[in-house]
Amino acid sequence: MADKALSFSLADFFFNDSPDVLTPPSDYLAWIQHPKIQAAMHFFGQQFLTAPRAEAEVLNASEGAPRKVINMTSYNYLGLSSHPEVIQAAKDALDRYGLGASGAPLLSGTFDLHVEFARRLAEFKQKEDCLLYSSGLGGNVGAMQGLLRKGDVLILDERCHKSLIDGGTLSGAKMLFFSHNDPSSLQAMLEKSKGKRVLIGMEGVYSMDGDLARLPEILELAEHYKAATYLDEAHSTLMFGKNGRGVAEHFGVEERIGVSFGTFSKSFGGVGGFVCSNAAIINYLKGYSSPWNFSCSPSPPVVAGLMKALEIATRDSTLRDKLWANTAYLRKGLLDLKLNLGQSESQVIPIIIGASGEKLMHFAAEIQKRGLFLQPVDFPAVPAESRRFRISVSSQFTKDLMDRALTIIEDVIAKGLRG
Amino acid sequence: MTREQIMDVIKKNIVANIDDIDGATIDPKKSMKDYGANSLDMIEVVSTTMRELKIKVPRSELTDINNIEQLADKFMEYANKENG
Repeated sequence: MADKALSFSLADFFFNDSPDVLTPPSDYLAWIQHPKIQAAMHFFGQQFLTAPRAEAEVLNASEGAPRKVINMTSYNYLGLSSHPEVIQAAKDALDRYGLGASGAPLLSGTFDLHVEFARRLAEFKQKEDCLLYSSGLGGNVGAMQGLLRKGDVLILDERCHKSLIDGGTLSGAKMLFFSHNDPSSLQAMLEKSKGKRVLIGMEGVYSMDGDLARLPEILELAEHYKAATYLDEAHSTLMFGKNGRGVAEHFGVEERIGVSFGTFSKSFGGVGGFVCSNAAIINYLKGYSSPWNFSCSPSPPVVAGLMKALEIATRDSTLRDKLWANTAYLRKGLLDLKLNLGQSESQVIPIIIGASGEKLMHFAAEIQKRGLFLQPVDFPAVPAESRRFRISVSSQFTKDLMDRALTIIEDVIAKGLRG
Repeated sequence: MTREQIMDVIKKNIVANIDDIDGATIDPKKSMKDYGANSLDMIEVVSTTMRELKIKVPRSELTDINNIEQLADKFMEYANKENG
């Protein structure tokens, strides 16, 4: 194990072979404490000392001291987490309602704010009704748990988020995974599932690759096989489409999507999730979606801030126009450096390094030393042959900031890959 | 441990983790995917088998394995290593 530490990953210790439940696997501690693994792990959980703006302050793990960084990792795509109007709305709600909702939604946790925000979101997504969740992960888990039962089939794109998989597991439905964005693979799964109740799950923008679901082809198949559809627009809501309603709007297929899911932690700049669909199924979910009915309602100041974020992002297209201009600029700069950006078509831009974990970690240490906060994404989060960095573009980036970042990326990654 | 014994453990765990499958009809030249397994089912089969055989093969060495036979060969390699 000692000399092969880097060939192991967290995926290898999922099954705990220790006889005692409260003891991790016998070789887990030896692995996690190995100097090479420690060197890789020290990138994770670094502390932010300021808001996650384009320029932020982080407690640097190597130096153990605060330092200013260019932040290209936070999901603050539209900069709304620290928008002055959002902060003011949250402050006002904090004064009026206090910190927490102090109850689950059915008993005492539903405030006028929750009702109003859910109504506005349903209207925004052009669905009949909407449920708010305190956690984005909880929203996906809860929707799957509430919609599916043993005997049903959940067919997911193989790159779907863990929350959809966990929800599927909890539901008891049989889960099948189709090759990423591959309609013929999906069709084979649909053929196998004939005669069963089927739900197809996919993402608007895939979070590690930045490519879009091939919705027109997938929906055609779904309709042919009479399967329901679930679209996770975590990384696309408020950004894609003429009105920012997401990738479904971008493709002009909104009315054909059965369930539209989104999170509040990305472009909205807060935390939580929401599920929009027809009124009858949303009503049904209230009884069977535990992360909704057995969890405290979202914090009122957060909801007030989110409602303001929705208003700001939809009153005109300023923020998303800026986001797309920044994405185009950065993308061009990266392509000029001959970097592999995979199939990205969005503000999520991977820089694919390849199979070498050591190279990935070496580059990560160097760019962070130079003041660019870009995190390594390693196996098993992504396939072992395509370890990467992932840029989250923000409307807050300035040209100067992007130029400085491109210089660091050129010096460390582009030159490092060449030689 | 013989290769037959290893194959028996793999087959037993395939039957335990994949729906609608008859152990007697498993063809080692096929992949678990051919029997309707998803990636989580395969992790379950691989992990429970390794636990039973008391071996630990890194996942990174399993990525190129295409069928049940190759999985048994890989386990055999490690069983010999760890016992010898």
